[in-house]
Amino acid sequence: MSEALQDFSTASQAQGAVHAATPEAALAVRELDFYYGEKQALKSISMDFRKQNVTAMIGPSGCGKSTLLRIFNRMYDLYPGQRATGSVLFDGADILDPALDLNMLRSRIGMVFQKPTPFPMSIYDNIAFGVRLHEKLSRAEMDARVEDVLTRVALWKEVRDRLKEPAAGMSGGQQQRLCIARSIATKPEVLLLDEPTSALDPISTARIEELLDELKQDFTIAIVTHNMQQAARCADQVAFFYLGSLIEMDSADRMFTNPRQKQTQDYITGRFG
Amino acid sequence: MSKSMGQGWRKDPRATQRLLMDRLATGMSLTATAILVLALASILWTLLWNGLAGLSLAALLHPMGPPGSNGGLANAILGSLIQTAVALLIATPVGLGCGIYLSEFGTGSKFATAVRFVSDVLLSAPSILIGLFVYLVLVAPFGHFSGFAGSVALAILAVPIIVRTTEDMLRLVPVAMREAGSALGAAHWRVVLFLCLRSAAPGVLTGILLALARVSGETAPLLFTSLGNQNWSFSLDKPMASLPIAIYQYAGASYDDWVRLAWTGALLVTLGVLGINIIVRFGFRSKQS
Repeated sequence: MSEALQDFSTASQAQGAVHAATPEAALAVRELDFYYGEKQALKSISMDFRKQNVTAMIGPSGCGKSTLLRIFNRMYDLYPGQRATGSVLFDGADILDPALDLNMLRSRIGMVFQKPTPFPMSIYDNIAFGVRLHEKLSRAEMDARVEDVLTRVALWKEVRDRLKEPAAGMSGGQQQRLCIARSIATKPEVLLLDEPTSALDPISTARIEELLDELKQDFTIAIVTHNMQQAARCADQVAFFYLGSLIEMDSADRMFTNPRQKQTQDYITGRFG
Repeated sequence: MSKSMGQGWRKDPRATQRLLMDRLATGMSLTATAILVLALASILWTLLWNGLAGLSLAALLHPMGPPGSNGGLANAILGSLIQTAVALLIATPVGLGCGIYLSEFGTGSKFATAVRFVSDVLLSAPSILIGLFVYLVLVAPFGHFSGFAGSVALAILAVPIIVRTTEDMLRLVPVAMREAGSALGAAHWRVVLFLCLRSAAPGVLTGILLALARVSGETAPLLFTSLGNQNWSFSLDKPMASLPIAIYQYAGASYDDWVRLAWTGALLVTLGVLGINIIVRFGFRSKQS
């Protein structure tokens, strides 16, 4: 914690007067608005994503939770007409800063998508692809990195003998774990998960949920999910979004047992959404 | 089921009419299919019947010669191989580059829309027009016909095919794959080159092979460019023989052995195109799965 405090104080000195962020926040969102062309998709969002926590974002379809996630690695930059205002502080810098090195940002904030997206190459190269973009590793170091991340996602034993085979030959659940391995292989600080289990069967889903528990020792995790049980099982913090606004954010326990807002209550009890 | 059937099962007065319409429609589409198959089969049959008659070792190994000299098509076969190979060497990088630009970098720009339109027009341009154009640019100024001019004419025909398939195949690459690449911190060009193009590779290769199949039977663009040659011709700087031109010269001749060789040449071109199509259809399918 003291290290985090130091990090933050040096960072904020470097930035000059920035908006206040709590010391344990990996991402501090302040007054964030987001637009798809003319249409406003996020309205004045302010929230913190705590370090080494799993923060789940829930809410009905179109409430803006995925949109928010895609701001954190500036994914929206790929599409003209999408823009964000406000600020998202990460390690002392504003993620929305147009001058930010996007490739650097994306190596520090990884993302896993709804559908597994194995690259058209071998299992080994799927992981090496991202690493090679940011680091020069020797053959042995790369081998070690690949083994390390595959072990962490509990895939090593299953694929150690077919690392050179195409990743497309794996099952959906394996592919998604490979995608997680690929994302953590670049040693990011934050991991963004956009409904990572919605295309998977219950067993694969359970494995990935177990994985989140392990991964949060090292990463700050932000997960978008449609699955209330999943949020309750995995998350430390839960944020409820509705129509582009953050309605309520609290610890998972409190959100699911005793939410303050009636809308949250209605949503988690299945009355709408 | 022992009880009598319910009121809902009364006979529909239109049932017979529907059945008749169904039979009629099926019959008509079957007839159309039969006509097409018959036409194709008779073409192939004629080709095989006449072509196989002239197919001999001499036809494959001897160069073209005067009537009655036991000449063959070897120089034309070689000329065709050289010219289409050079045409592909020119057309592939241009077509690939252009297709990649249209799909990945020029999305939404007016320039890209114009390029796409021109490319599509070129796709259906009469091939004789391309031949005339290359004649003006590469033959007339130099004062002589050349195999290279023929290759360029064929390349111009191949480029729009490659552009189209490359663009289409790249567009089929899921957005999720591009985003996943970008999300790892890969620059756009890297995502395009190492992820998109790689994932579209079988389709892109198919496009290149289809372009090859298309141009390998073209005659008109070669008439004013590489002209044809009765003798061995290895230099791209000189007039060069080719199978389509040999067929064109021999088919209308009044010598039996020439006419036979024309059929043999036609058979060879057809077999070549057929072979390419078979490779495209089966070769890449098995690789993808």
